[in-house]
Amino acid sequence: MTGDVLRVVSTEARVTWLAAAAERLLFETLDAREALSKSTGLSVPMVEWGARSTLHTIQPAALRALARQVEETGRDPISNLSIVLAGNLFTAAVRAVVVPLLLGIPVTVRASSRETLFPRMLHDVLGSCDSELGAAMRLVAFTGGDLESERSLFAESEATAVYGGDDTIAAMMRRHPDANLIAHGHGVSAAYCGPEALHGDRVSETIASLALDVCAYDQRGCLSPQVVYVVADSEASASAFAERFATEGMDPLARELPRGPLPPEVGAAQAQWRGVAEVEGALIVGDTYGIAIGTPATLRWSPGYRNVTIVPVHDRSEALRALTPLGATLKCIGSDPASSSALRAELARSERLTAYICPLGSMQTPGLDAPADGKPIWDGLLR
Amino acid sequence: MSERAALAIRIETMIDACAEGDRVDPSARDALIEDLAGWQAVQIAEYGRLRRRGAWPPALPTDVFRFRRIAVHPPERDIRVFRSSGTTSADRSVHAYADLSLYDLAARVAARHMLFPDAHRMRLVILAPQEHEAPDSSLCYMLSRFTEWFGSTSTWVWSSGALDLDAMTTALREAEDAAEPVALIGTSFAFVHAEDGLRKRQFRLPPASRVMQTGGYKGRSREVDPDALLSAISTRYGVPTEFIINEFGATELSSQMYETTLRDAIAGTSAPRRLWVPPWVRATPVDPDSLQPVEGGALGLLRIDDCANLDSVCCIQTADLARRLEDGIVVLGRSKGATPRGCSLAADEALGTA
Repeated sequence: MTGDVLRVVSTEARVTWLAAAAERLLFETLDAREALSKSTGLSVPMVEWGARSTLHTIQPAALRALARQVEETGRDPISNLSIVLAGNLFTAAVRAVVVPLLLGIPVTVRASSRETLFPRMLHDVLGSCDSELGAAMRLVAFTGGDLESERSLFAESEATAVYGGDDTIAAMMRRHPDANLIAHGHGVSAAYCGPEALHGDRVSETIASLALDVCAYDQRGCLSPQVVYVVADSEASASAFAERFATEGMDPLARELPRGPLPPEVGAAQAQWRGVAEVEGALIVGDTYGIAIGTPATLRWSPGYRNVTIVPVHDRSEALRALTPLGATLKCIGSDPASSSALRAELARSERLTAYICPLGSMQTPGLDAPADGKPIWDGLLR
Repeated sequence: MSERAALAIRIETMIDACAEGDRVDPSARDALIEDLAGWQAVQIAEYGRLRRRGAWPPALPTDVFRFRRIAVHPPERDIRVFRSSGTTSADRSVHAYADLSLYDLAARVAARHMLFPDAHRMRLVILAPQEHEAPDSSLCYMLSRFTEWFGSTSTWVWSSGALDLDAMTTALREAEDAAEPVALIGTSFAFVHAEDGLRKRQFRLPPASRVMQTGGYKGRSREVDPDALLSAISTRYGVPTEFIINEFGATELSSQMYETTLRDAIAGTSAPRRLWVPPWVRATPVDPDSLQPVEGGALGLLRIDDCANLDSVCCIQTADLARRLEDGIVVLGRSKGATPRGCSLAADEALGTA
């Protein structure tokens, strides 16, 4: 693995390089929007939105701040890292690659066979911004089941970060029992709208933010909310909120950020999910979305692709009680501003939940230093 | 006469007409589906909650049979409860019957039409558990009725969860020696077990012998490509591929669909392999968003409106992917769920609801 230059240059040099690469990558992504739409299954506007919102987080100030946080730990970075990317969110490659590079850790990346275009673009841009530093990202390609190549990937690095399904990760752990594996498995997320978010002129903002969280990447990521807890005094008021959410939130976004084509297997799951939702409670269906009104007791996780459940609760404690069995599977809770502090405090007391709280409207655009799987983003990257 | 009794007579008359070789007018079937669904929506609260979208009555997703009892009658009137395979109660669809007469009629007429159109009775060798070993299996119930309706002799070669390869070999050798055709019937995974276990044993089953396979694998054997299994069965038993057909059934349905190649071959015609849809059934690929019928041969989700589902719900939305082919249907398999559903399954497990 080539990465000697990366290790010896200053943090500021890395910051400058990565920020410039992010800026250039945004232009190149926008140029390649049609091709990326095809390779990712997202609509062209959604590709644009994903690229802009992700690459805008790679700013010099954010990079410096993260580097400072890591320095304060007093620990040294590992010598090198292998990364196995998942294919559900094309921009997930950005944080996965940028953070170790910022810390001076050369990476070898195996892209998902489902999405190779964006990782290739990231690789090329890093090289074109600085060929010596760019050599610290190596891209490898091999098909699933090529165990020899997989073994080499694991063997050449001090640690391997794996993004993917729980089954995939478990299989890799079995195949490489001695590997230092940093697992980023499946997860789900939820949103919470407290009483202040639903009254007066705040409700429009709540609806717009929440709709963006649901529609971002067509709800394919583990930071996408699949369930929204709404403090409501009755099912009727939750239904009224759901109606407004459909017409004022989801319908406009269906026009601005259209959903990509529905894969057949998701369509099958969607038909079952929506039908059961209608039998169990109530369902609002748009051309490309479904909103179920559920209860904490009958919650069913959706197949994504803009199918979400709104659950009326009395207070945040009831919402957290419903989420507690998820444990570490729950990645993030999007919250209205007025409820964030109290939710964070309750989460801190929870023995099982490790999710982090973020503002509604930004669930799918985590900051560079946002935790991953309940741990600091640099977890596993330091000795 | 009660509304149910009147509907039962209309259904029975339609199935009987098919048995007699009479043409069933699709518009009469559609009208029957409409009336049946309207009655069921009143009788079954869960179904009544579904809103009509489009010209047809709403279709109840098969998943609902996992969570709710779907029946017009109370549990104390159940005479048989069929359950799909699965490891936990939440995995298993439940279909309760107070009366099996329409199920029997539909099964007999469809099998006679597609599996035994040329023979009143024949030797049956069955690679599935007997009814008493799996009393909640609709397949085992149906195969037991097959032995009564179509069997000259019947040999069950699946017992206590395993295939009895010696009993199977004996039964097939006897058919070879007697030069009498045999119908070899079983689940796909049982045929895979047979492939794995029979090793070098080969058969030349007498002309007019046939094979019916059904169902998926569900982790009970290695999975085999359908074309490869078709070829392997043909080679193993000496049965032409046209005489090897799939049956499509489901716990949530009372009628079955069969592939057409056997009947076509007997009639001396040649046409693509597809599923025959009984005239009392409407099978339609639908768009997953709108749930409306797709155009032409486009891929869609298979909706089945089965008039023989009198005491549950006749309009069923399956999770199978299918397309129209000529006058029939090709089922491309059960959806395995997309990646996000993988997240969901993990979450279901965490919630203890799976």
